[in-house]
Amino acid sequence: MKRKITLTVNGKEQELEIEPNRLLLHVLREEIGLTGTKEGCSIGVCGACSVIVDGRLVSSCLTLAAGCEGRDIETIEGLAKDGNLHPLQQAFIEYGGFQCGICTPGQIMAAKALLDENPKPTADEVKEWMSGNLCRCTGYYKILESVMAVVNNKISPDFQFRKREQQAKIQSLDVYKPVAKTD
Amino acid sequence: MAKTEKFSVVGQRVQRVDGFDKVTGESKYIADIILPGMLLGKILRSPYPHARILRIDTSKAEHLRGVRAVVTAEDTLKRPWGAFFADQYILSVGKARYVGEEVAAVAAVDPDVAEEALALIDVEWEPLPAVFDAEEAMKAGAPLVHDDKKRNIAVTLDIERGNIQRAFAESDIIVEDTFQSAPQWHCSVETIGSVAEYASSGKYTIYMNSQTLFNARYRIAAALGVPETDIRIIQSAVGGGFGGKSCDDNNALVAAILARKAGKPVKVINSREEEFLAGCRPRVFMKIDVKLGFKKDGRIRAKHIRIIADNGAYSAKAPAITGVAAMRHDTCYKYSDVKTQAYLVYTNKIPTGAFRGFGNPSAEWAVEQAIDIGAHELGIDPMEIARINAAESGYVSPHGNRVTSCELKQCLDMTEKMMDWKKKRADKKPNTGLGLACTVHVSGKRHFGDYDGSSATIKINEDGKALILSGEGEIGQGVHTAMCQIAAEELGVRVEDVEISKADTDLTTFCLGAFASRLTYISGNAVKNAASNVKQQLFQQASEMLEANADDLISHGGRIFVKGAEGKFVTVADAARARLFRHNGAPIVGSGSFDADSVLPDKTRFGNESGAYNYGVQAAQVEVDRETGQVKVLQYVIASDCGTVIYPIGAEGQVEGGFAQGIGYALIEGLQFDEGRPVNPNFSDYRIPSMRDMPPLTHAFADSYEPTGPFGAKGLGELNMDPTAAVISNAIFDAVGVRIKTLPITPEKVLKALTEKG
Repeated sequence: MKRKITLTVNGKEQELEIEPNRLLLHVLREEIGLTGTKEGCSIGVCGACSVIVDGRLVSSCLTLAAGCEGRDIETIEGLAKDGNLHPLQQAFIEYGGFQCGICTPGQIMAAKALLDENPKPTADEVKEWMSGNLCRCTGYYKILESVMAVVNNKISPDFQFRKREQQAKIQSLDVYKPVAKTD
Repeated sequence: MAKTEKFSVVGQRVQRVDGFDKVTGESKYIADIILPGMLLGKILRSPYPHARILRIDTSKAEHLRGVRAVVTAEDTLKRPWGAFFADQYILSVGKARYVGEEVAAVAAVDPDVAEEALALIDVEWEPLPAVFDAEEAMKAGAPLVHDDKKRNIAVTLDIERGNIQRAFAESDIIVEDTFQSAPQWHCSVETIGSVAEYASSGKYTIYMNSQTLFNARYRIAAALGVPETDIRIIQSAVGGGFGGKSCDDNNALVAAILARKAGKPVKVINSREEEFLAGCRPRVFMKIDVKLGFKKDGRIRAKHIRIIADNGAYSAKAPAITGVAAMRHDTCYKYSDVKTQAYLVYTNKIPTGAFRGFGNPSAEWAVEQAIDIGAHELGIDPMEIARINAAESGYVSPHGNRVTSCELKQCLDMTEKMMDWKKKRADKKPNTGLGLACTVHVSGKRHFGDYDGSSATIKINEDGKALILSGEGEIGQGVHTAMCQIAAEELGVRVEDVEISKADTDLTTFCLGAFASRLTYISGNAVKNAASNVKQQLFQQASEMLEANADDLISHGGRIFVKGAEGKFVTVADAARARLFRHNGAPIVGSGSFDADSVLPDKTRFGNESGAYNYGVQAAQVEVDRETGQVKVLQYVIASDCGTVIYPIGAEGQVEGGFAQGIGYALIEGLQFDEGRPVNPNFSDYRIPSMRDMPPLTHAFADSYEPTGPFGAKGLGELNMDPTAAVISNAIFDAVGVRIKTLPITPEKVLKALTEKG
């Protein structure tokens, strides 16, 4: 029997009609279309489905969506604001904290939950905390480096992803006259 | 290109081209692909390791509300397919040969209905005697997995180079021992999956998270009995490959026949359990007898290796893997007389196959320990014995592998320094020890259709940016970024002005895909050649605009100018537009190909299998707890020779990630079979290393230049998975004097060995 619930996801209220046994992971992905949260092991071991609920890190593959009514859910999609990456997202790019990227949303959410609680963890505290998020590509060294870069304020202040122009001037074809230029 | 050439893009710590999408969760992996009207497919799998199918009744399942298609072997051509031997079917024909084999499948409106429908399929089984151990399977009277394979033997190798008998007779000491390697699962965090569509005109479009798209297309075409052109494969983002996603399994084929029957798109995603039972093909496990003859001064005089490899129920890539285990390592040291015998044997277990290392980790587990035993018996430092025997540039192995660049000795020097080897050896503390092993890998391997090449197309957009069209597989390793750097370097543009397409068999030219550490070297060369072609066209156009000779032009930072007169220039964008927007205009687009200078090995498996060989050395310092058998890695160092490093962040990631899988293989990963069925097919029982399991690591790249590589580069991806297990075992022996000969090296095994030693 479906029931109506309201979830607050990344600050937005979502009115849903779902079966009470549906997992938060599947409701986020299939009902709300937020596919950044991944399914890796389905038993709460790998951490790919990590999201933050009321400030606490949870495995959304073990969490019933109906139990999250009235709670504040944060997913990877909520981190970048107005196209500006969250410091952790930026650090993962600058320090190579991912390869295939499938575990990355979970890794970043786990790191965010830690830093929200404790902005200055030691490397050992990060290692212990992040050991619930499996990665098969990186060997974890660059994930640790990425998180510690945020902790130690070592990310670039003027970061721009691949120097992408925000307001590109597109040359009009009508007036186009190609000539050599001089400096 | 000289070794001293200064690069402007190659070797820079650039951002990954797919970085933004990956950190924001916007990358579309296979599970994220949703098509209108899409159904969900589920597979009924054999519960028996070996059983005849007497009858399948699907009528109840077909009538369940929400079911749109049910398929069995009757919906297929019953035509066997496979990478090297056509011996497996899309769905069981007559009998099933391992637990997990695909028997039937359903497509339904949601997963619950699909599961319910599977339970309604009635199969009448007649269990047959089964065989689970490769050595047992070779014995007379053992049950036959395939009726036409006598003694269950799929492949036999028996090769002698030189005179092995004389070489052993001339040896001063002989080391002989047996080592057992273990199965290992890829454990990509993303499982194998497919989304297939079928148009009634006869065309299949299949989204796959495959690492080898064109090979997948070929195999799917062969199994479905349709021309390659009727199959379009589009690569989704791939959540880890490591060899496991090279289309040796039936996932995409099942999705394709369900889509055809249902007339709707069908998604089939392996659950984690299915991935263990019948998804990616785990590492071929082997029993390896090694016999080495040494001269007193440490030179290896003779090598005899005998391998029994477990193929599982079907062949996948194991025939090639067995050959690699039998012979590749002979490219690492200067051997003259070698004998290699190998048997690949069918059993009623999951088919084994390609996993990073491709036979090398098993062989190195055995041979690198045997060399260590020899070093200890001769009283020679293992670092020295490696130095004495190490291959060098110009070496030709007994099997015909020609080494164009080799910095193995430099890697040994680097390892010695990074580990502070001499000092640590001199100040040896109780229960701590040092271990070492060397490794070699290929940069591409010639075995599919006497071709080990790649091709690429580059077009210049109207805004002057370059787009590479490539059918090679980005699977997380970062090769797309390396390819953009290579194109940018050759074109003389900023790396930010080069983009790369997804692989799509309809839109990109033929590419073999990601395997054999081949992409940076082989597709890198193809991209470089395509860029060179495009650059010629740009220079031709610019020469008109600059009123200069095209041969006098160079490009840098997106500007084309006469060498030495940078003040007057044409931008790449202007040249591209000038070529296009005019009478007889044409876009600037160019293609490039590359095929490695290797040869298809002959019947005796003689022949240079690859265009270039990568080398590495690893060393560990471990501490063994005598009370618990726990092994703690105190320090680990790695030196890699991959030629020029194109994309440092990616290259470092390959070293670190390969090593993590090596540590897992050495110390943690294992899975018990009970009557052919894996008993712990999940992530809570099959553990892979987590962040806290990783020891302190120092690593570096050798100063190296491969003359045939793009800007001097060669392969790297598998190198650092290969020797790790042997390194750890050698270090344990140095620490406490016991040698572990079966994988993984669990505390129980160490403790037992310590107790037995007394």
